[in-house]
Amino acid sequence: MNTAAPMLELAQVSRRLAGREVVRELSLRVARGRILGLLGVNGAGKTTTLRMACGVLAPSRGQVRVEGRDLYEQPQLARRHIGYLPETPPLHGELTTREYLSFCARLHGVARSAVAAAVERAIERCALGEVARRLTGALSKGYRQRVGVAQAIVHEPGLIVLDEPASGLDPVQALRLRELIRSLGHDHALIVSTHVLPDVAACCDEVAILHRGTLRHVGPVAAAADDRYEAQFSTAVDATLWQGLPLVVAAAAQHDALHWQVRLAAGTGGAALIAALVARGAPLCGLRRASPSLEATFLAIAASDTAQAA
Amino acid sequence: MSGALLIARHEWRRLLVQPFAWILGAVVLALMAWQFLLALEAYLAIAPRLGGVRDAPGVTDLVAVPFLHALANVLAFVLPLVTMRSIAGERRAGTLPLLLASGLGNASLVVGKFLGALGYALALIALIALLPLALSTGTTLDLGKLAATLLGLVLYASALTAIGIACSAWAAQPALAAGAAIALTGLLSVVDAGARMQGIANAGINYLALPTHLVPFTRGIVASVDIVYFLIVTTVALALATRRLDDLRASATA
Repeated sequence: MNTAAPMLELAQVSRRLAGREVVRELSLRVARGRILGLLGVNGAGKTTTLRMACGVLAPSRGQVRVEGRDLYEQPQLARRHIGYLPETPPLHGELTTREYLSFCARLHGVARSAVAAAVERAIERCALGEVARRLTGALSKGYRQRVGVAQAIVHEPGLIVLDEPASGLDPVQALRLRELIRSLGHDHALIVSTHVLPDVAACCDEVAILHRGTLRHVGPVAAAADDRYEAQFSTAVDATLWQGLPLVVAAAAQHDALHWQVRLAAGTGGAALIAALVARGAPLCGLRRASPSLEATFLAIAASDTAQAA
Repeated sequence: MSGALLIARHEWRRLLVQPFAWILGAVVLALMAWQFLLALEAYLAIAPRLGGVRDAPGVTDLVAVPFLHALANVLAFVLPLVTMRSIAGERRAGTLPLLLASGLGNASLVVGKFLGALGYALALIALIALLPLALSTGTTLDLGKLAATLLGLVLYASALTAIGIACSAWAAQPALAAGAAIALTGLLSVVDAGARMQGIANAGINYLALPTHLVPFTRGIVASVDIVYFLIVTTVALALATRRLDDLRASATA
């Protein structure tokens, strides 16, 4: 048994649809106990990636491995190990919540004797008690979404894939969903696709940003802006201070000439910047890492095509 | 196989909680009961005249078998309505990914859907068969011929159900699936009409036609060639449905 294998690994995965490469050579790993947020503008390839990750869609090239085993050589892996919530919750509206979850549990290989307990656990976890006997077709959007999450976790899979789980939820429902996702992240591997950046910042350990089918950024959420620093000076400095410093990629004054945000080149760090500024005799009185700006990273990637086109 | 049975039971459960299935069943039962009464009335009108005829046909030949044969024509329209939503409806409702992501093979999904719909057809046939069988309380029926006719009907229903499932897999809309299944069944019913009009009854084209293989059962003849024909139609249709699910899985339009 290979305990070191990540719960999910996409290795150089590509997918061509209608003559267009929707996902290109994408590699991702998600370990148990981690939550990966998948970000991207519409058409970035998020849903296609998720569908490949859970066995609904076969990749044109590359491999999808679940606990080190190829998902497309052993599709039965999906049955016990993966829970998937598509963009639209796949509910059978003519069944009650409990009946539907019982079917989903059996569908995912839960033994008949264990189904009732598994369903009760999912109902409790997703706070569905008051709608357990109602037809899923008659539920509100928020409850439908929660039943969708419940069907994805009813068989206690190692990997949970949620495609836009907060879509259409009101703020209170979205907050509860975030709490649920966080709690699921303790003992499952999760991939959550979303447009909502605060959801990623609040729920996820890592973020992957897809743009036009390619993976443009992957790393810890908190490190999305690791290369940005905020420098404070005791007296005003001007932009010429930064010229000739090869480790500074960009610098911009914030509010006044005493506060600057600086972006450093890869492989450098705050210590090197301090050394360089002291060597130049700059009146540096403070330097700190800029607060994570996932939004800035995301927008920069989303806008990169425009910049390249220009 | 357990996966297929799980899907079949689930299909059954879904059919049982839908008014559509009950209304459809009630309409078919009412229609067939009316047909039965008409056939019985006609038989009672001519029965006195049959008394003097040597080897005259009995109630089995004049009422029960024609009645069950007529059911085949009704099934050609009813079964496409039962199967139309089996896969096309899942696609339309966005619930097919639930099944595709379950790890069950496409063949298991298709066989499960088929068995679920076939269960409904068999229940319908069984209920309708009670009408002619009820005559046994007052007269003697040729039970062997009736059993052969019912076996033919079951095989015929099996082929029609499989055709319906295949059409449901290939069509994006349930209504389109029903229309295609009715058209395909109609085509298979009249494919040898031209040949028959020219008096040709044993050519290859005749072998393709559904009635060619159903009629012998109604005469009490259970021939392996007819059984094999229905099994081939069923298998080919289910294989095509499975192939379609393979394509859907590869095309992201599921």
